[in-house]
Amino acid sequence: MESELIIKNLHASIEGKAILRGVDLVVKQGEVHALMGPNGSGKSTLANVIMGNPKYEVTDGEIWFKGENILEYSPDRRARMRLFLAFQYPMSIPGVSVANFLRRALEAVREGNKPLEEGEKPTGKMGKRNSIPPKEFRNLLQTKMRLLKVDNSFINRAINDGFSGGEKKRAEILQMALLEPEIALMDETDSGLDIDALKIVSESVNALTGPNLGILLITHYQRILDYITPDFVHVMFNGRIVKSGGKELAFELEDKGYEWLKPAEEENGVSVNG
Amino acid sequence: MANVIASGLSRGAVEELSRQKGEPEWMLQKRLHAWEVYENTPAPLGRRGDLGTRRTLSNFKFQELSPYVPSEANSTLPVVIAQALKEALVDQRSGLIVQRNASVVRVELDESLKRRGVILTALDTAVHEYPELVQQYFMTRCVPVESNKYTAQHAAFWSGGVFLYIPKGVEIEQPILSQIWIDAPASATFAHTLIIAEEQSSVHYVTEYNSAFEGEQASFLNDVVEVYARNEARVEFSNMQDLGLNVWNVTNKNAMHEKDAGVTWVMADLGSKLTLANIGATLRGNGSAAELVGVFFSDHDQRFSMNTLSDHDALSTNAETLVKGVLTDASRVEFEGMIRVQPKAQQTASFLSDHTLLLSSECRAESIPSLEIGANEVSASHGATTGQIDEEQLFYLMVRGIPREEAERIIVQGFFEPVLQRIPLENLRTRLRRSIVRRMRGADESEADAWLDAQERWEIEDVDEHAISLDGSKVDEEIKLSEY
Repeated sequence: MESELIIKNLHASIEGKAILRGVDLVVKQGEVHALMGPNGSGKSTLANVIMGNPKYEVTDGEIWFKGENILEYSPDRRARMRLFLAFQYPMSIPGVSVANFLRRALEAVREGNKPLEEGEKPTGKMGKRNSIPPKEFRNLLQTKMRLLKVDNSFINRAINDGFSGGEKKRAEILQMALLEPEIALMDETDSGLDIDALKIVSESVNALTGPNLGILLITHYQRILDYITPDFVHVMFNGRIVKSGGKELAFELEDKGYEWLKPAEEENGVSVNG
Repeated sequence: MANVIASGLSRGAVEELSRQKGEPEWMLQKRLHAWEVYENTPAPLGRRGDLGTRRTLSNFKFQELSPYVPSEANSTLPVVIAQALKEALVDQRSGLIVQRNASVVRVELDESLKRRGVILTALDTAVHEYPELVQQYFMTRCVPVESNKYTAQHAAFWSGGVFLYIPKGVEIEQPILSQIWIDAPASATFAHTLIIAEEQSSVHYVTEYNSAFEGEQASFLNDVVEVYARNEARVEFSNMQDLGLNVWNVTNKNAMHEKDAGVTWVMADLGSKLTLANIGATLRGNGSAAELVGVFFSDHDQRFSMNTLSDHDALSTNAETLVKGVLTDASRVEFEGMIRVQPKAQQTASFLSDHTLLLSSECRAESIPSLEIGANEVSASHGATTGQIDEEQLFYLMVRGIPREEAERIIVQGFFEPVLQRIPLENLRTRLRRSIVRRMRGADESEADAWLDAQERWEIEDVDEHAISLDGSKVDEEIKLSEY
């Protein structure tokens, strides 16, 4: 059975300010969803809340993944259930090489949906975790790098440290390829890329799509949809999904912009912070 | 046969120590002079409002310690020491010297180096065999007896010790390894290292301080290291201090640089209940250069006071000090880094930086870099940062499946890594990484392995495009690994 990410009536706020105001969305393995909407509509917040970013407070609603309500799970446990977030602004972590970090990440993800740490009521000692032999890891990573045409020198560099914008986004896709998520949230993966970089990144994403991967592609622009074809398109406005449809909705947005989708309450002057 | 001297530091104990060793009169007199200085010098108490490490040390019960616990040379070593020694010796080496409590118990030196005039022996032995050299260099100019109360205490009670003499032009390629072990409770060990590197000679010297005894009864290690780097000599001195939490440590290290000499200190402080460290570079010769790379990791209620001095006293000298440390639990660390540029030291370049990461809310760090500049043609700067782990970085790692505590450990590894890369010996880098990982709560060995694999063993050379199949199978032979 394919994995499903089900979001029900999700409300979330940051520092007391409501951002998500009742989001409903279902993403299944094998589907590509595009989530569009103007700046400040809550798209990135949604991605962060799905992953459990502690900066945000969930005030109502539910997030179900693979039949479990994951709201109380730590971000790492959600990732080990094979949820993935490609960050809009990937953090650089000086001194930690991609090789070291990704091996630890892959080892953790392979442990699957179980707690690995004190606060999570561990099933055993952390040390019992299976480690991946260096050769096996190296071969696997190299295979993925080849698939995505990523240069070898990547792995010895510190994570995102001194990476160009395009390199950071490609590094995110490389991590996605290696960790093999079932549902991936891609937060503005297209932003800040020139057209050549956008093509490369899109090709990489297309190389990974298939029946085992569901994607929620968050974007502000239509142009990435020239390269990645979504099965569904959703439009977010002021913390809600106000319209859903097939890929033709993207073309409609391109023609008309977002204004026509503005909810009525907005026009009535109800103050809403995005 | 040597006997343990009963607890208590006294003039009588100094005389008894010297008598047991059958020392010449000049050394006895030097010790007695030092005893006088010790008696008449107040203990350093630090500044008002500092974190109090010196003051705590001044209250240490020295009178409960036995100042001389000899061990028999070449006797069988306790298992834990023998095992640790084995771990440290995987590298090629030129020589080895091991001190256990008050005595040197192992000395080895490459035969070809002996023939070329290199001397590696216990300082106890050198007093008898090379008295002129010892009289000239031992606690005279580099770390004078009178430097402070603890150097005087050391000079009065030193025992065992390392004497390394490298004649002109001899370059020792493989490192000389040294270990100092304390396995007697309620003991004081005064280990001395004297290195004389003659003109154009070079050496890598690696020394480790360890302890192996249980219990609350504290012991004390008061060591002094003196390095004389004559014209164009190169000395690299690495020190890993991993003493148990029942050992207090005072260390005074200084390097005397002559013309165009270069000395590098690599300091790693991980252990001990309390450490007071004074590390200096005296740049007395034109064109000489000093480098100090330091890392520390403190936890529990450890207290460190680290003090560095780059003393520029000649034309065109360089110094660079880089210290990085992590604190957790209720540990406290004071760092004071001094750059002193004497009036005649024109064209000095001197840099100092100190970066500290705090992992708990109870730990305290204080960093005081300072400059004293007497010349006008000088390029000098210092900087210090203290901070906590970035929550956004943590979230990034956690979103990749890594649990929070492990993510913290990975960030700590990354914090140390640039400094570790400046440590010249792979074996030391490797064991240091392991020690750091072991200190971090919840960590296991596989974590150290992943770190090591990534930093030391992963060098993928250009591979034949066709050698790797896309499904990633059976390609081991084609991937060239540097160390497998």
